[in-house]
Amino acid sequence: METIGADIVLQILQEEGVEAIFGYPGGNSLPLHDRLLGSPVRHYLTRHEQAAAHAADGYARATGRVGVCLSTSGPGATNLVTGIATAHMDSSPIVALTCQVNTSLMGRDAFQETDIIGITLPITKHSYLVHDVNNLATILRQSFKLARSGRPGPVLVDMPRDILAARCERAAPRQETPEATVEQSPSDRQQLEKIARALNQSERPVIIMGGGVKLSNSCDLMLGLIEKGGIPFTTTMMGVGSITSGNGYDLGFIGTHGNQLANSIVHQSDFILAVGMRFSDRSTSLIDEFAPLATIAQIDIDPTSIGKNVKVAFPFVGEIRETISALVKLVERKERTPWMERIQQERETTDNCLPYKGCGKAGHFISLVQDAMPRETIAISDVGLNQIWTMRTWKARTPRSLITSGGMGTMGFSVPAAMGAKIGAPDRSVVAICGDGGFYMNIQELATISYYNIPVKIIVLNNGHLGMVRQLQDLFYESRFSTVDLGTHVDLVTVAKGFGIPARRISVDDSPEAALAAMAGAEGPYMLEVMVDPNDYVFPIIPPGHPNISMIHGKIC
Amino acid sequence: MSIEERTITILVKNEPGVLSRVAGVFSGRGYNIKTLCVAETTNPEISRITLTSNADADFTEKIKKQLDKLVDVVDVLDYTGERFLKREMMLIGLRITPDRYAELLQAVNTFGCRIIGMQPDYYIIETSGRRSENDAVFKYFQTFDVEMMNRTGSIALPRHPQKYSA
Repeated sequence: METIGADIVLQILQEEGVEAIFGYPGGNSLPLHDRLLGSPVRHYLTRHEQAAAHAADGYARATGRVGVCLSTSGPGATNLVTGIATAHMDSSPIVALTCQVNTSLMGRDAFQETDIIGITLPITKHSYLVHDVNNLATILRQSFKLARSGRPGPVLVDMPRDILAARCERAAPRQETPEATVEQSPSDRQQLEKIARALNQSERPVIIMGGGVKLSNSCDLMLGLIEKGGIPFTTTMMGVGSITSGNGYDLGFIGTHGNQLANSIVHQSDFILAVGMRFSDRSTSLIDEFAPLATIAQIDIDPTSIGKNVKVAFPFVGEIRETISALVKLVERKERTPWMERIQQERETTDNCLPYKGCGKAGHFISLVQDAMPRETIAISDVGLNQIWTMRTWKARTPRSLITSGGMGTMGFSVPAAMGAKIGAPDRSVVAICGDGGFYMNIQELATISYYNIPVKIIVLNNGHLGMVRQLQDLFYESRFSTVDLGTHVDLVTVAKGFGIPARRISVDDSPEAALAAMAGAEGPYMLEVMVDPNDYVFPIIPPGHPNISMIHGKIC
Repeated sequence: MSIEERTITILVKNEPGVLSRVAGVFSGRGYNIKTLCVAETTNPEISRITLTSNADADFTEKIKKQLDKLVDVVDVLDYTGERFLKREMMLIGLRITPDRYAELLQAVNTFGCRIIGMQPDYYIIETSGRRSENDAVFKYFQTFDVEMMNRTGSIALPRHPQKYSA
């Protein structure tokens, strides 16, 4: 067979170490899907392109490698959009390969033509339209490099069908160019010294970690910094699980649905060291009243994240791992007895006042799920009450073991992302924890899971409602419940079994040990439906428009 | 911080779609581009975009960082302030009757404009200068029967090349 553009795509995928991709074929992807036959690159046929994008994202988050999804032109490409946006918001490295109509047809409203580059401009790090088959290899190599470098994120490559079918030479082997190492400049060193001095002098410091800590594989260094300096820490939702050992400095996570202790302590702090986070509205609530006493130092690889939302006294743009390893040498151990005593006192009076830290029966159930599963298990939450219950309850014990759609808040993320995570990390157990609403949103992927026998476990916390919206309506809209009733009339166990997946239903009030043992012991996929009371909410919560210290613990009557 | 007109010049790779990406950085944050000029530099692979937008200094700093992140952007420079010379060009097409020829020619000479198109009853006049100058010139020519007008956005250069290269 003569070499064509499609072969170049597969050549570069292999060169990049991609063993599995997630996709869906169509007319304009024919040349590429044809050459997949006989290629060592495994192609998982999802049942919807959105799931392919989430699977690539889950693969990337579980492994740290670049995930790849593939679609045809037009509707195939637009179906990827939510998945690409999800990856973009959480800085997850994926390469989205879209096929395009022939170059001669472009701009003519051809069948299944869409300007996917234009559509995805704000949700990609960068995108390429391939005009010449001879540029294909360079563009693909550049795409992988861009996706994983700096602040990671999605890159889209749009490939017209005639380019994929065009004859060409196999790409010359990659020129190995050593990654440029940036020497720390004298001004950088001075700035780090300033940060260290301010931190050392502070009486009430706190560290806030975002998703960047995990992305840069800096969890161990952060733990070293925390323990050397004796500094209490909190995380954003994306940062949950950065520190896998309970060491007494953990305050929980900040923000709307975070821990009261974390929000309160950050509010009282006089110095914040923010690492790999952007002070999003979910973390800060009312920005003008956020941490009014604190001087802020912020470290991030992305200059646009620094000072994006808050005034920063000590900005530092740099690779987090390198920066923290330099900073940790400058930080002194300091006894801050009054501060630590105040924290201990609040720890005893706030978080522990509610059963399962305000996550109700479902939260307790999730802790039992974790007990039943192996230590290395990756938990992937969906979005809604299930997300907060999971993020507050699941104790990350190993790196990359807690995955969620934090920024975009994409319902329907968990099941396809779990497929991708399991394929990327076959040696680890993977459990998706979703609500009934999110489960319905990508329910077709049960067919993918059973077809390939991907052994993921799915927990559906079924309260028959869009629970989080219901909670907000209950609390802030005078219990006027509008369009949140999904009903419990669908027999999800039969549905799952119809897809070929063993399933069981229990109530959150039942003793779940036997069901959890059956799920954990199942060799293949398994679905466990857990009936939950729709009045089982998540508390405390910050009402909209209120500062972080205004958490409420129940309905305001 | 005070809102004022900011002038930003952006050196970009001369590739399709670059202008969309740059414009998207502004529109995605709710900012309006007031004027825009794009042309190749002496290096045909690099284009220069010069644009103006009403914003405060904090916004300019943030937008500069966002623009710097675009793969096709080579450099971003803030050309706001008195250290930079700015000029715009304007073409004015107007209908004319013979009784006002003399008056028109006098105005053209006084303002230092040029007549670049001439038919017995229709002239096209070219003028360039600071925006305020062009506004004043246009205001005067509106005493004639202006048929149409087209003006460019600002182009700008630093007064001292050694301090502000590119």
